[in-house]
Amino acid sequence: MDSLQLLLDGFATALTVVNLMYALVGVTLGTLVGVLPGIGPAMTVALLLPITFTVPAESAFIMFAGIYYGGMYGGSTTSILLNTPGESSSMITALEGNKMARRGRAAQALATAAIGSFVAGTIATVALVLAAPLVVEFAIGFGPEDYFALAVLAFIAVSAVLSSSIVRGLSSLGLGLAIGLIGIDVQTGQERLTFGVPQLLDGIDVVIVAVGLFALGEALYVASRLRHAAPDIIPVGRTWMGRDDWKRSWKPWLRGTALGFPFGAMPGGGAEIPTFLSYALEKKLAKGIAKEEYGHGAIEGVAGPEAANNASAAGTLVPLLTLGLPTSATAAIMLAAFQQYGLQPGPQLFDHNPALVWGMIASLFIGNAMLLVLNLPLAPLWARVLQVPRPYLYAGIVLFAALGVYALNGSAVDLVVLFLLGMLGFAMRRFGLPVAPAVIGVILGPMAEVQLRRALAIGAGDPMVLVGSPVAVTLLTVAALALFTPMIRSFLAKRNAAPAQVRATSQDD
Amino acid sequence: MSYENSPDGAGDPGAVSASKRISWWRPELGLALVVLVLGVVVIIGTLNVSASASVHGLGPRFFPTLVGGSLIIVGFLYVLDVLRGGRAAPEESEDVDPDAPADWRSVGLISAIFLAFTVLLNVLGWVIASSLLFFGLSIALGAERWGRSAIIAVVIGLSTYLLFVKGLSVSLPAGLLRGVL
Repeated sequence: MDSLQLLLDGFATALTVVNLMYALVGVTLGTLVGVLPGIGPAMTVALLLPITFTVPAESAFIMFAGIYYGGMYGGSTTSILLNTPGESSSMITALEGNKMARRGRAAQALATAAIGSFVAGTIATVALVLAAPLVVEFAIGFGPEDYFALAVLAFIAVSAVLSSSIVRGLSSLGLGLAIGLIGIDVQTGQERLTFGVPQLLDGIDVVIVAVGLFALGEALYVASRLRHAAPDIIPVGRTWMGRDDWKRSWKPWLRGTALGFPFGAMPGGGAEIPTFLSYALEKKLAKGIAKEEYGHGAIEGVAGPEAANNASAAGTLVPLLTLGLPTSATAAIMLAAFQQYGLQPGPQLFDHNPALVWGMIASLFIGNAMLLVLNLPLAPLWARVLQVPRPYLYAGIVLFAALGVYALNGSAVDLVVLFLLGMLGFAMRRFGLPVAPAVIGVILGPMAEVQLRRALAIGAGDPMVLVGSPVAVTLLTVAALALFTPMIRSFLAKRNAAPAQVRATSQDD
Repeated sequence: MSYENSPDGAGDPGAVSASKRISWWRPELGLALVVLVLGVVVIIGTLNVSASASVHGLGPRFFPTLVGGSLIIVGFLYVLDVLRGGRAAPEESEDVDPDAPADWRSVGLISAIFLAFTVLLNVLGWVIASSLLFFGLSIALGAERWGRSAIIAVVIGLSTYLLFVKGLSVSLPAGLLRGVL
């Protein structure tokens, strides 16, 4: 098979000493930021962008992929040992995982999460290997109108799904799109929205936007409502699973993987929906002791969602690599990283840079194995990381945010822009606006514009060209459904008066 | 739970009668208006972009107009939603106590420290400025042992400088310590 040969070549790239080292650095950093509150993989990759100029592209992406996968592993440790999950994708794990930990089964919860993540990550990466060439083949004939429709779908899906309130999701997206407009128009060389400030000619760097909205915004938000009580961390010994735990875990792992991968690959699918579906599915399938334990710490409720969570991360890489379409904040930052190296993900990337793409995919297998070793025996060590005093943690996060942004251009103006974006991120968190649509808007907006103008130029200005291909029509229809279905539903719900509303809010808790 | 401060237990009937006493202004309206005004700014700000539009009239103003127009519509709906009492749950985070009253003193202090850092960075250099930044922030965030904070701050300031400048050849200002390091 062709892709098997390419994958083997990829292993040759990934298995050099230098790249193994980058993979190890990546997964270690990823686990660390996954465990630590207030900082996640998206922000970490963003912070590393300015200092990876000197690193070869293959090595950089091997490291970034490690951070992405590592963040997924690390997040589960936090949600099991500390019942206050930060990332929404680990929220479900906390439901059963923390209860298991409170009943003295922290070791088993961590083990099923780590092994389940490994199983799911490996299977889903195989699925990525199989699916990517198919999507590439399909997408090779995509015209600009198809890419524009894809971007529209990603915009709508991410804004509608990530927020409980569509208008807030779309507001976040709009803020990002507007920020993305600033600077010189690439096609005509005209200045847009620079207001005469020379530093704005190159636009606001994606790194500043991501770091401002994520890092500084989070630090300010946490400062405004800091939990002053010391975190209640459950101690953990050696992680292990008994025979019974294995028997109860392996099926949920596989089912979670089957849910996670396709949802990760869908625009707006993300990790939240499949983890929740996996949780609900395992609850429904639970029999005997599992049924009794569900709600009080059933291992199935950790195994399934954790597998779904990791499988979705691999799924996210399918549209990112084959279409250049980011479906999560971390994927959006990785797209920005590709652009920084002058690469454009899409069908051509597989043609022109097979060593890079397949090296990165091969490194996912290697990184997954490393993560299993890092997370199983070393879980108690990671648990200790959770005890970092919060004042130092957030002071450190802000310091590294400033370092990463200053390293971009050596400009203090960038730091002021960073601060303003931090205030925006703070306001967005406070009022429940999701941050990811803004980040995706900044990165995907300019690309959507290029494709739109290209499509309209080909069609001699006739807007019908945008619905000129069956692919574009399908994608735009799905986007319209994603936008209007919840609106109609909320409209109907409002008409159905108070009782329904009370029920809806109590479900949110 | 105070009713002015939009508690998270939304939808309880008691809050409805209480909310009548609050004026129509709510802090979130500020953000919603920012979205609306930004739409206007995007459109007005690109009016003067006088590109020789391509043959088919798709100059550099086309997409901004689209974005600006959408922002105005979304911003308008957002303002309406806020006025009608709509709200979304604030983001959850490990270290956030959702029931705590907003601590504006900390937010203000952190903002002031960060802005002071941006001004002082090029004068003092990375090591001193970032040490001061870390020290100030950790105290503002509630670190109790000042001595320990100061030691950690200096260690971090110095080690990041050595790692990134000497190790990874990132350029950071040396400032007052030029020639010493």
